[in-house]
Amino acid sequence: MTDREAAPAEVDALLALVTARYGARLNAAQLDGLRRAIEAVVDQARAVRAVRLGNADEPTPPFRAYRGDERPTA
Amino acid sequence: MTIDPVWMPLRELAGHVRARRVSPVDLAEIFLARLEKIGPRYNAVVTVTRARALAEARRAEQEIAAGRYRGPLHGIPYGAKDLLATGGGIPTSWGAAPFKGQQLAEDATVIQRLSAAGAVLCAKLAMIELAGGMGYRQPNASFTGPVTTPWSREAWSGGSSSGSGAAVSAGLVPFAIGSETWGSILSPSGNCGITGLRPTYGRVSRHGAMALCWTLDKLGPMALTADDCGLVLEAIAGVDPSDPTTSARPYRYAVEDGPRRFRFGVLAGALDGVSEDMLAAYRRSLDLLRELGTVEDTALPDLPWEAAVRIILQGEAASAFDEFIESGGVAGLTAPEDHFMPYARDAVLAKDYVKATRVRGVMAREIDRIFERFDVLVAPGRLTVATPLDQEFRGGMRGTSRDIMGAVGNGAGLPGLIVPNGFGERGLPTSLQLMGRAWEENTLLAAGRAIQARSDWHTKHPALED
Repeated sequence: MTDREAAPAEVDALLALVTARYGARLNAAQLDGLRRAIEAVVDQARAVRAVRLGNADEPTPPFRAYRGDERPTA
Repeated sequence: MTIDPVWMPLRELAGHVRARRVSPVDLAEIFLARLEKIGPRYNAVVTVTRARALAEARRAEQEIAAGRYRGPLHGIPYGAKDLLATGGGIPTSWGAAPFKGQQLAEDATVIQRLSAAGAVLCAKLAMIELAGGMGYRQPNASFTGPVTTPWSREAWSGGSSSGSGAAVSAGLVPFAIGSETWGSILSPSGNCGITGLRPTYGRVSRHGAMALCWTLDKLGPMALTADDCGLVLEAIAGVDPSDPTTSARPYRYAVEDGPRRFRFGVLAGALDGVSEDMLAAYRRSLDLLRELGTVEDTALPDLPWEAAVRIILQGEAASAFDEFIESGGVAGLTAPEDHFMPYARDAVLAKDYVKATRVRGVMAREIDRIFERFDVLVAPGRLTVATPLDQEFRGGMRGTSRDIMGAVGNGAGLPGLIVPNGFGERGLPTSLQLMGRAWEENTLLAAGRAIQARSDWHTKHPALED
């Protein structure tokens, strides 16, 4: 499956997940809007997935171990 | 009283207060009356805090009379975006009907610090519901109604710190506090023709502020001038044990008297989608900037900066309001799109969120590298002048336009300043935005002061209709 073909399938799958959770609350117009919103989510996710990163490229901000008696020092 | 305190810059106003030419109680009465009479015209005010304001003003008056002057905010009225917690029975609504009347136990740290500086809280100011985090796309997204810019009753104030922008612009308060996750200080400051400062992430404690996105939320001043913003920032900045993201780096507002040359940069892509009237004002500003230093183009690597920050924003906002969304509470919000857009955030996958935070690390390093060659990056303040009330707005946060300055500035947690720089379509304010290296608010403020020393756009005020 090409990247172009995969996007609608991904939208359909995610829409199915979201409508399974919340579909009963939404009317037809809202479901249309939900699809468009999920298309945007998939578009932005695919753009970010396409970025090549190294193994050492950590999330920002990094996690810090916690101690209740420490004060912020950054 | 022989002076007119409305639209008076803070330093000048403080001088009158300190010299006892104007009483803090009289000042409070003047601005309370304006908030009560003029505020409703713009839907700018949620709660006028009259009793608290007069108590704080009386205390300030007594202290100053006794020679215990606290500094330039002593006895100065202000307003706070209604996402900042206030105790003492003053409600904190977060702009959202389901939270109307919400009572919180104590003041947010920012409110506490302004109280310690002697400032006088006069109002809780209107905002976009839940700081715009549910996906709104048009101005009518607050239970108090759409806030209008004082420059036109038919145009939006911007958001989400909508009332903070309108109240300062209309002279209802000398300064206000706003918040920014992506654009929420710069947008209303630009639409309302005032000066707004987005501090570096971690500069100002968010304790007691509604959380929208833990790794993006910032609080900052909105006022008439860059100098005003510096005075307020000094009062509210600093480490807070209650907000673990705050930095221990000390902050003192530095007013430099000597001339300084700036290295201004323009990011590739920063002009994409900008309207002609905003571009015209921007080009005029570049002429002014060339008198202050050099202006050169530069570029970031071509990566999906806006998409990465949107994923982070959507993922964190969905988690911050998880129970509210799950319970169906969004159906009680004002904007029709807020009734379903939050559900789409369930489609943001964990792996994509983490990848976005890793891309963010690249963004932070790349932009910092650019700041080795530049003091300040500049761009038009907004894509357009204020949107008509009945139209959808465009923006990078919505994904309907590029916003490289907004994505990088907020994604990398960098300080930003917006200043008025003219008037465009429909006679509405245009603006110029400046972005600085992390923790370089003083550089931004110095540039802002230099611009405002050579122009008078910040001294223009709207004609208020009766």
